[in-house]
Amino acid sequence: MKPSFKPVFSAIEAGLLCCAAQFVPYGQRADWLREWQAELWHVRQERAPMEQLSWQAEREIASFCLGAFQDAFCLSHYRWKLGTLLTALHGTATQCLLMLFAVLAVSYGIARFSPGVCAERMLSTRLQRPGLILIQNAGEASTTIAPQQYLAWKSHRHSFFDGFAFYRVAEESIQPVSGNGSAPKEPWKIAQASSNLLALLGLPVRFATAEPKGSNDLPDVILSESFWKIEFGADPQIAGRMVRIGQRRARVAGVVAEDSWNLPGKVGAWLLQPDSALAANGDGFIVAHLTPAGKEKFWAPVMQITEYDQDDSGPSFLGYNIDEWQPGSWGIYWLGIAFALISLPAVTSVSLGEYSLNPQKTSWGRRLYRWSFFSAKIALLLPIVYFSTLDIAYIRTAHYSHSSADIQMLSTFAFFLFGLRWALLDHRQRCPVCLRRVEHPVEVGLASRTFLAWNGTEMMCMGGHTLLHIPALPTSWFDAQRWLYLDTSWKFLFVGSGVG
Amino acid sequence: MALEAKLSHTAAMILQALDAGFVYGFSIMEMTGLPSGTVYPAMRRLERDELILSKWEKQAIADAEQRPPRKYYKLTAAGWSTLQASRRRYPLLERLIPSESLQTEEARSL
Repeated sequence: MKPSFKPVFSAIEAGLLCCAAQFVPYGQRADWLREWQAELWHVRQERAPMEQLSWQAEREIASFCLGAFQDAFCLSHYRWKLGTLLTALHGTATQCLLMLFAVLAVSYGIARFSPGVCAERMLSTRLQRPGLILIQNAGEASTTIAPQQYLAWKSHRHSFFDGFAFYRVAEESIQPVSGNGSAPKEPWKIAQASSNLLALLGLPVRFATAEPKGSNDLPDVILSESFWKIEFGADPQIAGRMVRIGQRRARVAGVVAEDSWNLPGKVGAWLLQPDSALAANGDGFIVAHLTPAGKEKFWAPVMQITEYDQDDSGPSFLGYNIDEWQPGSWGIYWLGIAFALISLPAVTSVSLGEYSLNPQKTSWGRRLYRWSFFSAKIALLLPIVYFSTLDIAYIRTAHYSHSSADIQMLSTFAFFLFGLRWALLDHRQRCPVCLRRVEHPVEVGLASRTFLAWNGTEMMCMGGHTLLHIPALPTSWFDAQRWLYLDTSWKFLFVGSGVG
Repeated sequence: MALEAKLSHTAAMILQALDAGFVYGFSIMEMTGLPSGTVYPAMRRLERDELILSKWEKQAIADAEQRPPRKYYKLTAAGWSTLQASRRRYPLLERLIPSESLQTEEARSL
């Protein structure tokens, strides 16, 4: 049995006609579509009356359907001028959604190409490595630890720690070996660190090169962003440049944003040295990473760490939790959204008006349409708030910073709060029948105030469906807005308004 | 008269086809050879200018024949007089699409 393609072609042809109908002005759309569909039936009967498939016939039928587009575009010649289109769209649900789409597209476009937002996104996945602690000496005299202690711990396996790194802060001069960079006026603080420090911390290194290190290679130095900007003029070709630190030479291996460095000592660069070179230097700090078992056992803001020797007594250390709570942009966003939702009743009524109380029963389809539109507004509002707040937070900076996170938090709260307020106010003033915004507010005059004891404003749906009464002074018998559904006797007022 | 002078050849063909008994869009397309993208908007304009009238077929008739109802067109009095003027302007019009009365006369002579 041969498969029949006729239903497929019929569906395609019906779809083409529906698409073409979208280009016809709203008021004439149904009539045009009905005529095309009727004519299509006759075209099909004339051209392909039998069940068997004929490509020639299908081509002619398709050309009839494509002619519907020409029909629609012909109408545009005298109907679809821009002004007419804008008038037809004015105040409609489509216009509202189109505007929200436009705002979303702009905010997403800025976020997509903003270097700050890109850096934040990269950071949010890589920066905060959980389970890090800073180990200091518990003694009163000094908080630093000898590098030999670090080497001793590193050489053994531990059940509670799976990584150690060491650094000490020293004030040294650092300057470019050659090129146009001049010697700094003041010495910068340098962190002499074990080569795994930044990897253990999980800090992202910009301009990092994947060059293999030979045995005779110089030590790597990672510059802080401010040092890179001040001393190297934010040169993007910084990787591989030679610098002199004190009397040693080192190769620049990348740049790190100092905002992400939250350990003791504000440093301009990190000199990554082999363990053998560290042993010759002075005391410093140890950073350790806890295993899941270690986290379960020790996890606290401050941990007491004691190393027992053979006679059950040994040096004590303090481990400080440096795994600072960083919710990331998503966490900040949802926190702002939650605060805004909590605060919403303080800035506006959360009621959608009298939709549910009107005496005229509206169909389920119409109610679904209204709720779908409201849901679509909120669904568009959510990404708009996310992208626009990221844009604002990171517009002036090209990397993650705590101040940017604060700005994002505040702007998310404000944008979503007032966005929700707008969505509710907008929805309350949309005709329940056609979802067009009611217009032409009229304040009820003195006569009504005196004789009818009613103060308020009346607004009108330009489609001629409803009148909206909003009381100026809520009373026990009239405290919320009310919709008056207009019957057909009002139609003559709206003839020629161009609104369906 | 101004309207008569403005009537295009396409519009004149459609009026002539209507007069010849082709009373819906597809049959006019078939008769005149004009594409759908031309015929339907032209008929809408003729209707707007009150040269033709349209009327949807009754649903019951269409249901009885198990097909969708279709829209029929007919000439108005203004349309008829405009067609007469067009015939004077386009003498070949009647030969291209013989009108119903002409066809009857030809049949009788045969």
